[in-house]
Amino acid sequence: MASISKNLLISGGTGFVGSAIVRAFAEKYPACAITVIDQNPPSAEHALPKGVLYLQVDITSVEGLKKAFAAVHPEIVVHTAGLIPGLAERFRRRLESEVWQVNVEGTRNMLNESKQTGVEVFIYTSSCCVVTDDTINPYPNIDEEWPCSLRSTIYGESKTVAEALVLKASSSDMATCALRPSVLCGPGDCQLLPAIHACIANHETSFLIGDGLNLWDITHVDNVADAHVLAIENLLSTRTAAGEAFFIQNNEPITFRDLCLAIWAQFGHFPPFQVRIPKTMAYIVGFACETVTWAMGTTATLSRGSVRDACAIRYASGKKAKEILGYEARIGIEEAIRLSCEVSHRAHTIPSLKLVLKAPGLRFSSLSCSTSNHRCHRESRVPVNFCGDSDRVSTANYGDFQPCE
Amino acid sequence: MWGCCDHVPGLTLHLISPRWFPFSFAFAPGFWLFLPFRSPLPLFVLLLGAVGFGFFIAVRASDVHASSSPIMGFIGNALYYSFHPMQLRAIIQWKVWHNPPHERNEKNETENQKLCFKFLDLTSRSFSAVIKELHPELLMPVCIFYLVLRGLDTVEDDTSIPLVTKEPILRDFKNYLTQEGWNFTGNRPEEKDRELLVQFNHVVTEFMNLKPEYQTIIKDITDRMGNGMADYAVKAESDDASVKTKEEYDLYCYYVAGLVGEGLTRLFVEAEFGNPALMKRPRLHKSMGLFLQKTNIIRDIREDFDDNRRFWPQEIWSKHVDNFEDLFKPEHLDAALNCSSEMVLDALEHAEECLFYLAGLREQSVFNFCAIPQSMAIATMELCFRNPDIFKKNIKITKGDACHLMHKSTQNLSVLCDSFREYTRKIHKKNTPKDPNFLKISIVCGQIEKFIETIFPTQTAEAAQRKVTGELTAAEAKRKEEDDQNKNDIWFMMGLMGVIVVIVAGLMIFAAWMMGARFDLAFKELTQGNFRPPKSIAHGEL
Repeated sequence: MASISKNLLISGGTGFVGSAIVRAFAEKYPACAITVIDQNPPSAEHALPKGVLYLQVDITSVEGLKKAFAAVHPEIVVHTAGLIPGLAERFRRRLESEVWQVNVEGTRNMLNESKQTGVEVFIYTSSCCVVTDDTINPYPNIDEEWPCSLRSTIYGESKTVAEALVLKASSSDMATCALRPSVLCGPGDCQLLPAIHACIANHETSFLIGDGLNLWDITHVDNVADAHVLAIENLLSTRTAAGEAFFIQNNEPITFRDLCLAIWAQFGHFPPFQVRIPKTMAYIVGFACETVTWAMGTTATLSRGSVRDACAIRYASGKKAKEILGYEARIGIEEAIRLSCEVSHRAHTIPSLKLVLKAPGLRFSSLSCSTSNHRCHRESRVPVNFCGDSDRVSTANYGDFQPCE
Repeated sequence: MWGCCDHVPGLTLHLISPRWFPFSFAFAPGFWLFLPFRSPLPLFVLLLGAVGFGFFIAVRASDVHASSSPIMGFIGNALYYSFHPMQLRAIIQWKVWHNPPHERNEKNETENQKLCFKFLDLTSRSFSAVIKELHPELLMPVCIFYLVLRGLDTVEDDTSIPLVTKEPILRDFKNYLTQEGWNFTGNRPEEKDRELLVQFNHVVTEFMNLKPEYQTIIKDITDRMGNGMADYAVKAESDDASVKTKEEYDLYCYYVAGLVGEGLTRLFVEAEFGNPALMKRPRLHKSMGLFLQKTNIIRDIREDFDDNRRFWPQEIWSKHVDNFEDLFKPEHLDAALNCSSEMVLDALEHAEECLFYLAGLREQSVFNFCAIPQSMAIATMELCFRNPDIFKKNIKITKGDACHLMHKSTQNLSVLCDSFREYTRKIHKKNTPKDPNFLKISIVCGQIEKFIETIFPTQTAEAAQRKVTGELTAAEAKRKEEDDQNKNDIWFMMGLMGVIVVIVAGLMIFAAWMMGARFDLAFKELTQGNFRPPKSIAHGEL
């Protein structure tokens, strides 16, 4: 596997995960030509290595994809592009058609194009949400045998259908596999860390919902990138991963409360006291919030769904990825949290973050992200640009809380 | 799949097991009627007797409030247990319901064997009870193994013996085991277990009676441990004996406890009470010993410090304080607590492997023998974690907690895992983000929980599948059917009551009518809105 000199095409490659995969792959296989297709041009925040070709393509447009594939002739395709609704919309169905259009139809287009142009390897960035978004179950130590759900959230459902499409398409001509990363963190993360950090400014850190014992296993973005590289290597050689899905995580489950406490501690904040709010009570309050905001015509940050997320048990055994892909987390969770927080410090985003969160009306929005998976609008870190001059409202990234990816 | 041992209680235990015990009270009132006297007085007497018995056991068994006079001690205990009924309950439960898997048969023992058991009682506080419940095959070997190591330890501990005498004794100790009549009188008089070495010839006699396989194992471990101790003593003489690095710390713990774990494991496997795979994974039995030893070292920090011994590695404490003595100064309490929690973290990393090891044991008494100290260790660890008292005095888990733990450690691996999870969560709860090792402790706690979840999953993928598709298992379907049946019964009962009410009401109305009640007038008044009878009746005509 020392020298691969093939063409790699990656969708969503200017986003959070996409750019990390590009960097990891380019570092290991400098001889490969990498092409990034995305709606958003490369940004300083999610830097791409030199020599990477960028094409502005919308994956929902078949013509655009045809042109890109014709220009690149890729042998390897990594499909990370997707649409994640923000927290406010996570448990609602208002954006169902948009999410479906990008996540399912976009994936179908990518698959069709790949098949027609003779792609050998197709890697899909799925999500643990295909299983864990169905809140009917707790998910302790799950493995890939656990069922995907078709009745969860609009995001979970769309990813389930898209993943099934990808895995079904695996053949001797084109081997496919799907990686299901858990909640992501890392430098440039605009969802998990800012959302948890925002609790400091909102004086919410002293309140613990539920028993505080529920374990989560989050993933550093570079580890997910490693997993993608390993999956590519596998499908180019032994193909033992063909047609398979894998949970990817740091394999260090910690309680959600501890994750929050550790992040706050990085910013020098320690909750002065702790009040435990029973889950049922929080659930009722969430329902009340939902009702009020529904009546007012706004969207709520506290909802039954967010209470369920905060109390959910979600971690996988990680055995299959280790055995078949040889995946092990290179960056431990402690370092992962430190790195994520350091970048936030350096970028001076935190003071502006507070301003943003205190500004009325900016906390709630309809759509958190652009069409690239795991990414936020890069202007979102400059508060001046928030004031509605962009067609996509991106402020919600901060107030929002993304439990998956 | 893990081949762990299952507890197979005898028939008698089934009949009077704690599970059925509460139900027997349900029959008590009925039973009472058969007695010749029907006053509640005997019941009170019985109750009083039970409470008295409980206190008696508790007082005898506990040293919670050690006091100068036995009467004061009794009162102290009585007061303590009045406010801690759960503790008392745990003690009584253990005393009443614990059914030893094996009991030593004193009738068949020789005088010499009895003497060895006497020494066992004298030298060990916690181990003697569990050793005496071991399977007869291993009873004597483990007892002798313990006494041999205790003898070795007594030589090593005695600071009054000069190195020139001590070193050869430690190195040659294995040979004394086969020297009929060997004993040692060189200990200072105040040495606690001096008597054992003075009469060591009895131990030697019993050692020679063991099966040759067991002799080889015990001899080998004695050899390695004796040499390890001798090396340590030489080093202590020549330069600073304090433990510097974490590696040295692990090595020290390996010599004093890890080797014992190895020896015991070899005995278990030799007797076919343990999975032979345990020998292929030396990390597991090493962890068993290290977990226990590290717990003791954390708990005994104050005692060891007062005896001028330091086992906490410099590599750890130097991160928190400049001088070892600072750990005990109130102004450095925060640093000392952070240091102790790093020590706990270091020890907790063995917990997972301990559970893994216990899964490989095949015999109940061997399981109990190994599991009890482990669960005590994790409870002690929880007690010591972020507890400022460890720097002030010697602390211990309460007698009640110990009994509760012993009860839970003598069932099966699943129950033991529950205790481990319980104490892991308690440790996790005390963890604070101000501690530099906050996240590491959180990770190790998560790791233990994940491991338990791996051996005993709370929900399987198949069950989740059924839940998602809405399918029911046969048992669930049956229960649902029963529930439906019950619901029907309830509706029927309510209907029946309704019918009875209607019939009774009808009969009453009929009777009233027969006696001349004017329902027509009453109804008319009601329609006019007069819901009360007229206040007074006018008797104008009279």
